[in-house]
Amino acid sequence: MNDKKATSTTGLASALGLVKKYSFVLVFLAILIVYAVANGGLTLNAGMNVLRHSAVIGTIAIGMGIVCLTGEIDLSVGSMLALVAGFSVVVFNMTDSIPLTLLFALLFGAACGLLNGVLVGVVQMPAFIVTLATMLIYRSVAQYACQHLPGELIGNGSSVYRMSNELGSYDALYTFGNARVAGVPIVGIVMVLMVVAFVFICTSTKFGKKIYAVGSNAKAAHLAGISVPLMKTLVFTIAGALTGLAAFLWVAMNASADPATTGNSYEMYAIASVVLGGISMSGGRGRMVGVLFGALSYDVIDKIIIALKMDSLIQDTIKGVILIVVIMIQVAGPQLKEFFASRRKR
Amino acid sequence: MDLLTMSGIHKAFSGVPVLRGVDLHVARGEVHALLGENGAGKSTLMNILTGSYTADAGTVAFDGADLTGASIKAVEKAGIAFVHQELNLFNDLLAYENIFLGQEETGPLFSLNKRSMIAKARELFERLGVDIDPTALVADLKQSQKQLLEISRALFFDAKLLILDEPTTALNTAEVEHLFKIVRSLRDQGTSFIFISHKMPEVFELCDTYTVLRNGTFVAQGRIADTTPREVTGMMVGATISERGAWEPRETGECVLTLDHLCGPGFSDISMEVRRGQVIGLTGLMGCGTTELMQCLFGLTHPTGGTATAFGRRLAGGSIHEAMKAGIAMLPSDRKENSVVPDMSLLENMYLSEHVLSARRFVINRGAEQERFERYRKLLSIKANSSGDSVLSLSGGNQQKVFMARWLATEAELLLFDNPTQGIDVGAKAEIYHLILDLARQGKTVIINTLEIPELREVADVCYVLYEGRIVKRLEHDEIDEQTVMLYSTNSVADDRAAQTPAQTHE
Repeated sequence: MNDKKATSTTGLASALGLVKKYSFVLVFLAILIVYAVANGGLTLNAGMNVLRHSAVIGTIAIGMGIVCLTGEIDLSVGSMLALVAGFSVVVFNMTDSIPLTLLFALLFGAACGLLNGVLVGVVQMPAFIVTLATMLIYRSVAQYACQHLPGELIGNGSSVYRMSNELGSYDALYTFGNARVAGVPIVGIVMVLMVVAFVFICTSTKFGKKIYAVGSNAKAAHLAGISVPLMKTLVFTIAGALTGLAAFLWVAMNASADPATTGNSYEMYAIASVVLGGISMSGGRGRMVGVLFGALSYDVIDKIIIALKMDSLIQDTIKGVILIVVIMIQVAGPQLKEFFASRRKR
Repeated sequence: MDLLTMSGIHKAFSGVPVLRGVDLHVARGEVHALLGENGAGKSTLMNILTGSYTADAGTVAFDGADLTGASIKAVEKAGIAFVHQELNLFNDLLAYENIFLGQEETGPLFSLNKRSMIAKARELFERLGVDIDPTALVADLKQSQKQLLEISRALFFDAKLLILDEPTTALNTAEVEHLFKIVRSLRDQGTSFIFISHKMPEVFELCDTYTVLRNGTFVAQGRIADTTPREVTGMMVGATISERGAWEPRETGECVLTLDHLCGPGFSDISMEVRRGQVIGLTGLMGCGTTELMQCLFGLTHPTGGTATAFGRRLAGGSIHEAMKAGIAMLPSDRKENSVVPDMSLLENMYLSEHVLSARRFVINRGAEQERFERYRKLLSIKANSSGDSVLSLSGGNQQKVFMARWLATEAELLLFDNPTQGIDVGAKAEIYHLILDLARQGKTVIINTLEIPELREVADVCYVLYEGRIVKRLEHDEIDEQTVMLYSTNSVADDRAAQTPAQTHE
């Protein structure tokens, strides 16, 4: 909003440039207005709910964002979420320790990402294929282990990993996942902090600039001395660690993880958030802050559907349509402008 | 009667005029040179001619028809073909498939008439004197064959006017001769050509008439026979440039690079000693191994034998990082593909390599980086508005300077320049030569690989000529001239070489 006000005095061209640069903010505001109308007004509480419900997707989307900046893709994050969340529950049930559970989630997620990263970066297999394969693997391992682990480790659920509520730390962890500080959900704060951290990494550190360089022109980056395999491996590993963090948030919020449904289609939502946030899928272009708005936008769409009392099964249709429309405006906009400009001349 | 008349062409991109009232006349059966520095508007003019861009004002008439604002298809149909510098061939298709692409001959049920198409392609190649197997995979063809294939394709569809955009960049002397022979015979049969090149000797050898552009305006046109290379170059840059090069003898320091019978992919048995402050030239025909030698020194490939010692450290090879830490930098050829990071600003493009060496200090110090940028901007006289501009907004010469700054920032002492003036205009070339000599004076050591022999005369203290991966001759600065270098590059002095072999140029 402030961006728009500040530029009203300067030239139209720079204003248009800003709009283009921060189009994800406009998309978010547009969706928010629709929600306000459908809901008959906006409450602070509703806004905080959006933050809470987009915490997991947002955290995953940050990782997806840096992966996409290098020009790669990670389809395995949804399954990875289920796997890491499930095993984190097991670790919690074994140790009754929140720090150990968090540490495990981060490390296990990083390890899952490392596998992707080594195959893509070092072995140089196509990311689409590698992560498609690990998507199948991670989900399957999560489901298999759930059936074959001793009952007490998975909280005596039948096909769900459940935190045992008899443990001493249960309340503390569940509170962490659901409580608010000054009205703001803690999980939302964690997600926003991560966004802030990665905005900093991508704009102000040497590592961040190398991510962009690899995505923009990998050959030139290689010849400038950057180790492209190492960068890709690191980026996938970080994406894995962030998915691990998301899994920890998930466990804290839900106290359980269903290996069959947890994280279903989350890779798609994360990619959509990244694209909606203005990051180029071919790499090298875009801002991390866009990912935050992309993720928030998607959650508001859910809320609109609930407010309109529509069948929730229609959600994905609407999300898909919005994605197509937004990208169409981005891609076709300049072409249309050119077309009409040349029309007028004749 | 003119075959092509373009008059009063205007074109602006987002308000910036690129062409201001340009005229171009090409007669039937002539080779017309379109001359001008990079950024003079040659490509824009050609893109308007072929229908890729629409002119803001002006008319185009071709072969008695009005082609103003015609589409790409219509222009093609009228008989104009553009042979691009970056060839528009499909590497994964066969030679004849490339010729017939989009206009395949089909039999019943859309099946392809392969035999007939192959026969026609073969007949075409024979008529033109081009040695290409119609069923060869394009990826397997040599660069010169690809160029000829592209020209053949244009001629197959009865092009009356062919635009050749720097067709000789990737060709060796013999191949250039062959190309020119074909062009001449086609010209005599009535085909017209627009020939775009930066190489004056070629222009004066091949062309009949010329048009000179400068900064988007029309400067002159006339007959090549009535002018001199000096005059034309003067018209291109706007002032007559001094003929005398800036090279002068220099004191050189201790030995900084020693190659002892170094072998690797594409070259073998290379021995040389390079002293601090020297400028060493490497040259030869395309594929003679000079580029490969540089890439090996920079750690892109593994040496297979012999040793390389830089600044007293023996290089294990195969690691760019190792080479960088040893103080070696390489400015690769093909700027667009190997140097430009298109989505990043000038500043970001500049500091990338230094950041590889200083990766431990994680956070970027913006103030210090900006200061360093200003220092190199002055030192290399980079013409840019602000460090935040896109690297794509600069001309080729200024881009190349940014990449020189990229490596100077790493404080490398040994600079490997692979074809540093490729696709750079005359004025910027001279500046790059001055920079190279300045760097040498300041104690940097430079090895420059180039196919352009005049370039060696400008900068090199010593020049090594390679043939098929081996050094065939070492020439001192005073011995470097076009003819001598060509003789050794093409290995035309076999006797001389045989006599030398026992002692194989140990320097």
